[in-house]
Amino acid sequence: MSFLIGCPLCGPRDNAEYRYGGEVQTRPSPGSSEADWSTYLYDRQNVAGVERAWWFHRSGCRRWFQAERDTRTNEVIRVGWTLTARATGAAADG
Amino acid sequence: MADRRLPDPAGDELRRSESIEFRFDGRRHTGLGGDTIASALAADGVDVLSRSFKYHRPRGVLCAAGSCPNCLVDVDGEPNVRACVTPISPGIRVRSQNAWPSLRRDLLSLTDRFDRFLPIGFYYKTFIRPRRLWPLYEGVLRRIAGLGRIDIRARPDLHPRKRHLHAEVAVIGGGPAGCLAALEAAGAGARVVLVDDGTRLGGHLRTRTRTLDGDPRIAGLPGPEAARRLANLVAAEPRIEYLPGATAIGIYDGGLVGIAQGSTFVRVRARRIVLATGAAERPALFDANDRPGIMLASGILRLAHLHGVRAGRRAIVVTDDDHGWRQAAELIAAGIEVAAIIDTRTATAEPAEAATVRAAGTDVLAGATVLAAVGRSRVTGLRVRVEDGTERTIAADLVAMATRPEPVVTLAAQAGLPLVFEERLAEWVPLAGSADVIVIGQMTGLVDDGLIAAGAVLAGRLAVGRDQAGGAATRHRERVAGAFAALPDPAPTALPVGRKPFVCLCEDVTTKELAQGVREGFASLETLKRYSTVTMGPCQGKQCHGNAARVTAAMRGVSRTTTGLTTYRPPVQPVPLAVLAGPHLNPVRRTALHDRHEAAGATWMDMGDWKRPLHYGDVAAECRAVHERVGLIDVSTLGKLDVRGRHAGEFLDWLHPNRFSDLRVGRIRYRAMTDDAGIILDDGTVARLGEDRYLVTTGTGSLDAVDGWLRWWLATSDRRVDVTNVTARFAAINLAGPRARDVLSRLTDLDVSPDGLRYLDAREGLVADVQTVILRIGFVGELAYELHAPADQAAHLWDALMAAGAEFGIRPFGVEAQRVLRLEKQHAIVGQDTDALSDPRGASMGWLIKADRPDFIGRDAIAALAERGPRDVLTGFEMIGTAVPAEGAAVVRDGRPIGRVTSSKWSPTLSRAIGLAWLPAEDAVEDRPITIRLGTGRGGSTAPAVVRTKPFYDPAGERVRS
Repeated sequence: MSFLIGCPLCGPRDNAEYRYGGEVQTRPSPGSSEADWSTYLYDRQNVAGVERAWWFHRSGCRRWFQAERDTRTNEVIRVGWTLTARATGAAADG
Repeated sequence: MADRRLPDPAGDELRRSESIEFRFDGRRHTGLGGDTIASALAADGVDVLSRSFKYHRPRGVLCAAGSCPNCLVDVDGEPNVRACVTPISPGIRVRSQNAWPSLRRDLLSLTDRFDRFLPIGFYYKTFIRPRRLWPLYEGVLRRIAGLGRIDIRARPDLHPRKRHLHAEVAVIGGGPAGCLAALEAAGAGARVVLVDDGTRLGGHLRTRTRTLDGDPRIAGLPGPEAARRLANLVAAEPRIEYLPGATAIGIYDGGLVGIAQGSTFVRVRARRIVLATGAAERPALFDANDRPGIMLASGILRLAHLHGVRAGRRAIVVTDDDHGWRQAAELIAAGIEVAAIIDTRTATAEPAEAATVRAAGTDVLAGATVLAAVGRSRVTGLRVRVEDGTERTIAADLVAMATRPEPVVTLAAQAGLPLVFEERLAEWVPLAGSADVIVIGQMTGLVDDGLIAAGAVLAGRLAVGRDQAGGAATRHRERVAGAFAALPDPAPTALPVGRKPFVCLCEDVTTKELAQGVREGFASLETLKRYSTVTMGPCQGKQCHGNAARVTAAMRGVSRTTTGLTTYRPPVQPVPLAVLAGPHLNPVRRTALHDRHEAAGATWMDMGDWKRPLHYGDVAAECRAVHERVGLIDVSTLGKLDVRGRHAGEFLDWLHPNRFSDLRVGRIRYRAMTDDAGIILDDGTVARLGEDRYLVTTGTGSLDAVDGWLRWWLATSDRRVDVTNVTARFAAINLAGPRARDVLSRLTDLDVSPDGLRYLDAREGLVADVQTVILRIGFVGELAYELHAPADQAAHLWDALMAAGAEFGIRPFGVEAQRVLRLEKQHAIVGQDTDALSDPRGASMGWLIKADRPDFIGRDAIAALAERGPRDVLTGFEMIGTAVPAEGAAVVRDGRPIGRVTSSKWSPTLSRAIGLAWLPAEDAVEDRPITIRLGTGRGGSTAPAVVRTKPFYDPAGERVRS
């Protein structure tokens, strides 16, 4: 674990500067079932492939952004404040 | 025994006028300046440096390059030091390892005789039953297992450091290829880091007298001179940072190279990496191939050329490749008699060096097989079967193993380059680099000086982005392919005979044991490795990985591509944990009032990065001052967030189970924050300082998490809110006690009367001429004001408060007194009294939940928890008697734990021990007797206590509101 992540504001930095914020998910609407909440809180896709996740530039600009990263190679494919899922390859919303 | 020293000028690193005394296993030895421990001992006639791991066989220097386990020793209490690459220094005490009672008479060497009873997997198979005896087995095995002893009293003189370097190009390996690539890249303007594990640049050139051809800068020079020429060119190039004595132990994502350089750990982040890690000889396989005096030819040459030591008088060279003939010629040139050369190949065209070798009177045995080594604590000869089938013994005190060098591909594999099995080389090599990693030199299977130099120069250009896409690179690739085609046929792997042909010297694994493993079904190299522990020792597979792969393929009668290789992982070389851990470069944070506390005699405690006064010498007196008169405490470390914007109130509502948009300007409300699982994350206060402006305080340790949490929810929200961390901008002082108002009124014109500034009011104004936010809050049970002032004026404010409070007996109090006072009020501390399973109702904070809202973070979970009803709740207790239970102590019933203590203190105010504990809801009722175990262990005595659900001190809260 030593890959570089390109912060949309600060540019490429060591991943130690960031905090991983988990897979991008959609929060259940209020009043959802306990099963939906449980999935949202505890179940992760943990894909071997391209994952869309939150990253926090903790030791830098302290901005949250999203990155698409191949979890097998740690290649960061793209970053943005928020990313919309692409038709293929990206991890589905939880 | 001076005759083991070669005459001057042999010994490139020696300073012959300097003599250095040291001890090895209690005996005094003398070496020369520039000697390593191993070279000094070799010069003094010491052949045995260690005992092997499993069979306790005597072992001596093998590689003299820090790549094998044979010379691991203990130096002044530091275990597993590589004697062959560690310089001697005056007075060091070197001890051999893995031998008892002594290196010469090691009782556990008996295992060597009983090897038939110690088959592969012996420990797995034997020590599993009867199960009840495992504690006994474990004790015995632990004594004999492991390598080296850690002396916990030893304080090695280790000062680990960390360095961070950035470079356009990192070149790993300072041989001719690495140096030329580095020079080329630097010449093109790039910043280059050149990493080499030798003491000086040049790699194998330093130990070869043969002249070079190819690159005009070094062509025609003998190796050592070429090495010096390259070193001078590198030294004259300001854009190259050369790291001597540095081992690249791993390549990680993003062009990061981890490097151990003595006690410094260097992290180099490079745009491109050029790997020039060379090739290395590996042991030949025959019975008893581990005897002292049996060395890699390169090891013998290193001792001779670098340290002026003659490793033996009469040598036999064992080879399967033209390389052996070149090495034989080099040994002769270095002044070592070569009695015979054994080339296992039959009917090969003899290489150019054959003439030199024959002229020296060397006996040539082509197509011969080495059966076994003769001799015990030093080799005395080899038993050989010659081509016609007859056997004979050749006397020698030195065996030079010079089989075809193996490309050192560890780092290339770690960098993710695919390795290809090149049939002409009979080796796995990275045939091509990637966009970021370029491979050059002998590690790509090349031997020819000219091709190596040309490839290195091309690589240097490629590394700075000057891709010679067309002509040069293509022509070079064609020449490389031609060179491979012209190589002599690789010798087939012959399986050795006899009892102990060692494949793995670290873990004492023989070909016999590998054969047994294959018969038992461990056909894949990966599983065979785990079963036999081959490649898993301190040399990290350097000496055995290739041999194990070759032998396994031959035993199974399958191709090398079928058995494959095991995964290469960092570290390439063992690294002391202290070097990896390095110093912790955490900042120490001091509040703006640090000097005032120091002057008042504070005892310090760490809270996160912060230093806080734990007390000023007398906790009871500090508590008394607050209850009876007035005290003040520095609470600057509290997190402070300025939250403002059109939707600030609504945003805070959304993130809390309670509400803030309905808070009036100038008022304060307690806050506790939950996540969507309904778990408490943090607590603090919210003061509304303006229509769109809130001051939010957090716990000292939770600021970073809370700030991140707020920003995360904002990242996907349209709400117009700005969050600014103002923690360091403002110092904060809590002034508490019945006379607090008297002190404050002397320093401000603001109306601080009970009606002018009520409990939970917030005001901004001048206090002691300092612009201050006054929050009338406190958690120590008395009238209190929290004063937030610019950090650079805080000392002035503190002094003014101390001066104004003098007539009332004001006194600073620390964290310990604050905790006692808080506990008297049963105020829980989030993180101390709560954990990752604590919800607001359980933590007796149910009163703050405002659930009648469409949404807030944690709403559904809190509702679900409410429906389920409380299980455990946090409640107060007081002890009957004077014992203070430990924090974490169990609350027990009938000997079984039913709850746990999270806070406990002696209250000087109440003269009894009090605390908070989690108890089953049905037990958390006033006056319920409970039993608390005093220690945290399993046994220990218990003491009675009773449940107290209301604050111990001023339960009605009249004093804080006064």
